[in-house]
Amino acid sequence: MKMFSKKLLLVLLVLVVSFSIVFAGCAPKKAPQQNNNQNNQQNQQQNTQKEVTIQIYFPVSTLAPEAKLLDSYAAAFHKEYPNITVKPVYSGGYTDVEKAIKTVINGGGEPPALAIMLATDLYDLIDAGYIVPLDSYINSMPNGQAYLNDFFPQFLANSKYEGKIWSIPFQRSVALMYYNADLLKENNLPVPDSWQSLAEVTSKLTKKDKDGKVVRWGIEWPSGWPYWLFQPLAIGNGTNIFKGPAQMNFNDPRVIEAVQYYIDLSHKYHAMPEGVQKNWNTAVPDFENGRAAFILHSTSGLNGILQGSKFNVGVMAVPGKKKGTYATVTGGGNIYMFKNVPKEKQDAAWKFIEFVTQPKYVADFSINTGYIATRKSAYDLDVMKQHLKEVPQAAKVKELLKYAGPEFSCHDLAQVRNIFHKYLQAAYNGQMTPKAAMDEAQKEAQAILKDFQNP
Amino acid sequence: MAKTVVNKHADLKSSIIPWLLILPTFIVVLMFTAWPTVLSIYQSFFRLKLNVPRFRVPTFIGLQNYVELFKSPTFHQVLWNTIIYVAGVVPISVILAFLFALLVNRAIKGIGFIRLGFFYPTILPMVSAATVWMYFFTPNYGLFNLFLQWFGYHGPQNWTGNPHLALLAVMIVAIWKSAGYFMIFYLAGLQNLPTDVFEAADIDGVNYLQRLWYITFPLLRRTTLFVTTIAFIDGFQIIDHIFVLTQGGPSDASNVLLYYLWEMRFNYQDVGKSAALTVILVAFILIFTIGNFALSERKEDRRVA
Repeated sequence: MKMFSKKLLLVLLVLVVSFSIVFAGCAPKKAPQQNNNQNNQQNQQQNTQKEVTIQIYFPVSTLAPEAKLLDSYAAAFHKEYPNITVKPVYSGGYTDVEKAIKTVINGGGEPPALAIMLATDLYDLIDAGYIVPLDSYINSMPNGQAYLNDFFPQFLANSKYEGKIWSIPFQRSVALMYYNADLLKENNLPVPDSWQSLAEVTSKLTKKDKDGKVVRWGIEWPSGWPYWLFQPLAIGNGTNIFKGPAQMNFNDPRVIEAVQYYIDLSHKYHAMPEGVQKNWNTAVPDFENGRAAFILHSTSGLNGILQGSKFNVGVMAVPGKKKGTYATVTGGGNIYMFKNVPKEKQDAAWKFIEFVTQPKYVADFSINTGYIATRKSAYDLDVMKQHLKEVPQAAKVKELLKYAGPEFSCHDLAQVRNIFHKYLQAAYNGQMTPKAAMDEAQKEAQAILKDFQNP
Repeated sequence: MAKTVVNKHADLKSSIIPWLLILPTFIVVLMFTAWPTVLSIYQSFFRLKLNVPRFRVPTFIGLQNYVELFKSPTFHQVLWNTIIYVAGVVPISVILAFLFALLVNRAIKGIGFIRLGFFYPTILPMVSAATVWMYFFTPNYGLFNLFLQWFGYHGPQNWTGNPHLALLAVMIVAIWKSAGYFMIFYLAGLQNLPTDVFEAADIDGVNYLQRLWYITFPLLRRTTLFVTTIAFIDGFQIIDHIFVLTQGGPSDASNVLLYYLWEMRFNYQDVGKSAALTVILVAFILIFTIGNFALSERKEDRRVA
């Protein structure tokens, strides 16, 4: 009897548990349906009242100065379109936005209508089926083509795929070389205009104390996440590290030469710390405190560096191999619109894109953040002209745009980029020769990309 | 007759209540631990890569994911890194914890501050701690480098960028973070030890080291079992500092199993391979936990006999 009751209990227990598992298994499937129902109800309400609320994910933290700006744009938009409410969600950084959106979509939920994500995420977002092209909206504008043509082509380069436009440039930057102009003057050194002169100038500016410890580096060139700041070297040697979305160019002799140049700056000219430099965060304070004469960083740090430095700050593109040539690379984020969002919300979202990319907001965002204004006409505005007069470095940055090559982007970007990082760092750290490293990187990357070559 | 009925009721009651009590935990564990594990085993037999259009629908491929992983040099390196990481972090942090506990298990004035000092790293969230350490590791003027120089160290200083130091750097942070936490368990264990055996040992004229080795350590065996199990699982599971300090780099020098799994799932969107990695990770933890437990229980049997 006792045994029997125990068995009965066990059976009951198993039943309860398996029931709860089945229930748990069903729950996520049911949830989206309920959501859809709710959405439909909301949509019906919207059709009668035309009230729409859309979300837009921004890759900044709630406390960032950008958050205030974006809040004010959303409020101004609501004034103009009282039936549409834009709710900005400040998720942290680009990877946080990406994670949040992937989690929502993988879980079967409704993604936000809009998000600012890296311009280079283009192919991955298309391949995963997350985003919609924007051509129908652009074509429905009275002057759609003129609107597109007003964006700097360097920034729009990351928006095009298979003849369609998939994103609109928003917070865009380029890689920038900052230098301590006072130090150059004191030491009677020219502003470098080639690889050779950059190496010589930075070598002369490297200062050691009597124990042989470096107290000032000629140049700091972050390489903890190395592809972006490496690209200006490849571009400055007349090529780039990729040819197309499924075709890499890692082992081009000119790319290998660029890797060798980076290594030479430390090993041959002793102008830079050896090996991989994990100094993206410390390069700016090092520069401001005189512990580095040159640094490579993003234009997005411009305002902060100008405020933090007590000397004249010069900005320039990275000198190319040949005398008088220069190079840089674009960076930053674009606005994307998501699939599986009700039409009403997508329509409202497009209105917000149009609104927030008006020249006056583009100019305002650029002036207040240091990002480059994405539209040519923004530079015709009086506020912008005034700003460029007050901050000549910002005017210089706009000029540098003509040297900018496209940022590295391809299918399965995270994996291919990791392969490139792995071998580039192996070369920087002297574990492999530049040629062996780049050959291996090219081989591994193309093996990954074969899935995309014959779709 | 009536008597047996009463007994039966009592039996039923006494056997239901414990089951009922563990039922909520049991269900939660099944739903959030056992079920995902089963799901991972299932998914690991499929090709499902969300960012490749033609692999977005799962196809059964048998053991292909495992075969590809075991063929990949990156996975070999990750596995090797993980073994070094765990084999270094677990014993060192447990031994340090034991020594810390011995050190602070005394009635000296101000011992509270020393205890706090050892325990302090545990209170900090790992990400904040790692961010602080990132600046400690800065070449030239980072605190950690200055500290080492003071002891006459003149080797490479680029802790997070040097392929020979990066894994060591993340291990140092992990040990620093967890030793104080494990110390608490040892301290609790030490304070609960029976005093009579120590009195007897004193009478027999046992010296400090003998006392430590023959009495304290064996009596704390249960604590050690618990602490090593927790330390081992933590060693596999706590990777927050790797995100901040090295991102697995340079050139995968500090990439460990769980970080690689995260990359596979969330960066490469490869659901099948990440499921296979999950299975491998769970297998590792299971083998050690059961092994550790069995070893400890066998020792006990021998002692009793």
